[in-house]
Amino acid sequence: MSVDPDTAREALAALCAVADDPDAYVVRWKERTGGRAIGVFPMNFPSEIAAAGGALPVVIQENREPDSLGRNLLAEFYCGYTRNLADQAAKGTLDIYDAFFQADHCTQLLGAVDVVRAEVPDAPVFFGQLPTSMSDSWAGERALATMRSFVEEMGRFAGTPVTAAALADAIAVHNENRRLLREVYAARRAGNAALSSPEMQVLVKSSMVMDTREHTALLREVVAGLAARPRDDRVRLYLSGHLSHAPRPELLAAIEECGAIVVDDDLFTGGRHISTDVPEDGDPVAALADWYLRRDAVAPCPTLVKHETDWEERLVEAVDASGAEGVVVLMVRFCEPHMLYYPELRKRLNERDIPHLLIETEHEGLPVETVQTRVEALLERIRRNAPLEAIR
Amino acid sequence: MTAPTSSDAADKLNRLAINKAGGRMVADYWEDVFLARERGQKVVWYNGSALNPIFQAAGMAWCHGEAFSARLAAQHLEGPAQLAGSEYGYVGELCSYARTHLGCAVLSQERSAGAGNGPGMVGLPEQQELASRLPTPDVFVNAYAGCSTGQQWDDISFRVFGKDVPIFNVSMPYLWSNRPGEGYMAGEEWEQSSRYVSDQLHELVPFLESITGQPFDWAAYRQNMAYIKQASELRQKAMKLCRHTPAPATFWDWIGNVAHINFLPANQQLVDFFAGVLAEVEQRVADGVAAVRDERYRVYFDGFMNWNHLGLLSRKFAAHDVAVVAGRYTHHAFWQEPQLLDPEAADPFLGQAQNNLLCPMNHATRTTTDLVLRDCDFYDVDGIVFHSTRTCRAFTNPQRLMAKAAQEKRGLATMFFEGDIADASFYKDEVLESRLAAVLEGIDVRRARG
Ligand code: SF4
Ligand code: SF4
Repeated sequence: MSVDPDTAREALAALCAVADDPDAYVVRWKERTGGRAIGVFPMNFPSEIAAAGGALPVVIQENREPDSLGRNLLAEFYCGYTRNLADQAAKGTLDIYDAFFQADHCTQLLGAVDVVRAEVPDAPVFFGQLPTSMSDSWAGERALATMRSFVEEMGRFAGTPVTAAALADAIAVHNENRRLLREVYAARRAGNAALSSPEMQVLVKSSMVMDTREHTALLREVVAGLAARPRDDRVRLYLSGHLSHAPRPELLAAIEECGAIVVDDDLFTGGRHISTDVPEDGDPVAALADWYLRRDAVAPCPTLVKHETDWEERLVEAVDASGAEGVVVLMVRFCEPHMLYYPELRKRLNERDIPHLLIETEHEGLPVETVQTRVEALLERIRRNAPLEAIR
Repeated sequence: MTAPTSSDAADKLNRLAINKAGGRMVADYWEDVFLARERGQKVVWYNGSALNPIFQAAGMAWCHGEAFSARLAAQHLEGPAQLAGSEYGYVGELCSYARTHLGCAVLSQERSAGAGNGPGMVGLPEQQELASRLPTPDVFVNAYAGCSTGQQWDDISFRVFGKDVPIFNVSMPYLWSNRPGEGYMAGEEWEQSSRYVSDQLHELVPFLESITGQPFDWAAYRQNMAYIKQASELRQKAMKLCRHTPAPATFWDWIGNVAHINFLPANQQLVDFFAGVLAEVEQRVADGVAAVRDERYRVYFDGFMNWNHLGLLSRKFAAHDVAVVAGRYTHHAFWQEPQLLDPEAADPFLGQAQNNLLCPMNHATRTTTDLVLRDCDFYDVDGIVFHSTRTCRAFTNPQRLMAKAAQEKRGLATMFFEGDIADASFYKDEVLESRLAAVLEGIDVRRARG
């Protein structure tokens, strides 16, 4: 399919609008369809289940507003995402959701979800704990049982059981969307610089919010209409980390403005989210359980524990595969899983002499100048090929 | 209102005498751990739930990570381990128990590697007294309820040791209670979770046997649980006597014997110790002896312990005539439901699993709130003091909502102060002092109004 550049730009603009204001999209979708929306907490609840139940699954995004009312509900030493969730709950912006699903056990997230439960009392908040110790022989069985409980709960919410056929359809639709997104990622890795890092984020972020078929249609127009643009000689960087939510687009832009180009990432709102497809043969519930276990093997997540796979190994492989010359670790301030794992990443990057930089992010306040000074120092070091150490 | 001086403070707190003798038991236990290798025992590092009766029956020496970090902090010896952690890359906002213990692991691992002759000793020249004597692990066992960090902490230790030390994870479901009828020790979630954890403990047995090379001693395990059940019953009974006014003992006394109930060997000595605790508390009630001279206020303490400032805090509250009569940390953990322990049951692990699941951080906020308000009624408190425990989000999770509920549902006074479990830098004495004074004035005003 070939699409003219204007159509592609319009499609991209439509996706940008959703990424900028997900709530407005959800409200419009509900008005348009008369359907119900499910608020999905990151990072592992499979949206396919909510979609198969006829609802719109939306991975709840951090919003742009300064926190105020929510400050009384969660302490200040929580990650920006969880504090903002509490704030959204307190301000009533989460009232657009008819129910919530939660599958992850991050302790800060659980605290925030409990705030949502208290502040949005009319919407059920269903928590099913997927196994978090992935190497146990019983992890597979446990994942399956939890997926079943999600499917049953979705059926209860929908008022009619979720059928295997509906699940299979939702899985196919989501796989198609993920595959398409991964193609864009692969093209970026291979040298196509048509989309900036903030634009790449828009593609993934909007996919977390929109009706998937609608998203795929727009994404196809973007992919078909954008002319490939070869990379220039900017320094190639890999972005790593930033769990549960998207870093500010301004931050991504600030990094690239320093004379760098992002060639790949394992950000949650990025490569991590789209990394793995759900098998399309066999029992769809079992396929979702399988997806959960395999997803952690493909993109090891620090919120989960396992013996066999290592985030740091996956990271250096991805750096090699993308031709990145350095890594920027984006860490959400107070993000405990990332804080605990970071030294392992640092050690491995140092062993491989891969220059890297740690940038912590918060919900409010982006010290662009400081960030750029530090990124420039990293780029300078890469250009000079100086002795490579962590730059903190 | 003038702030009391610290000398007033020291005078006003009347600690249980028996806890002093109990301190020796704890010191002896650690001595025993330090000499484990010389005795040829295998050493397990574990975090979270009290699995020690299992390790004891397996013939192992056990080292509880949090307990070790807490001990370092209480003795003001945490600095070098935290520095080692920081040099390794752990950010200062990370759980201070974890980064203290991981600091020890890093040092230990480095030393072992340097020596090139297998497991060495955790060591820092300036900390010979304690940290340098901790034996490195032969195995990790993790069973952390209510906190993702707890599980990840051991996984990172496993990685710091180069994945060479075997690890076993017991997954503890968080008790969220989706359905009506589910809650504290109730409903299908409770039944299922109990069985799930018990099943995993059964899987742990052959794993430990593979480490020790010896069969697990089931008879010893049943005997251990019988001791623990008795010790817990005695402790619970003594705690409940603090309902009396003036309170015969305080939260600080219960902190003083947390180690005993949490990880000391299960034996007759343990039972005798808690029998002694109960006897002393009963005697105080009979004699009208107060734990805080001139008790004027009674409060509940919600938060993890601030080990660096334990003495200071206990004196400070007493100096203000405040009896801290109970707390979530001391009263909602540590085999607090001994009736669930049945050493003769067909599945003796079930009661263990259930008590382990009932960790005070492992419930959704509404359950925790109900439990805390139930305690506040029972102990007839004027208010709740929240220790906003900086690096322990698991404990702070429900605090703001609980404070709201305590004010709205019971009209209780509430206050927050900042501090941490094992990082002294987060504690601000002036903040606590001024907030405590203000909250007590508020209580006075309310009383004056009748
Ligand atoms: S994983 Fe990190 S970013 Fe995500 S909710 Fe937990 S603390 Fe926040
Ligand atoms: S954050 Fe708190 S509950 Fe979690 S591991 Fe640390 S001390 Fe334990």
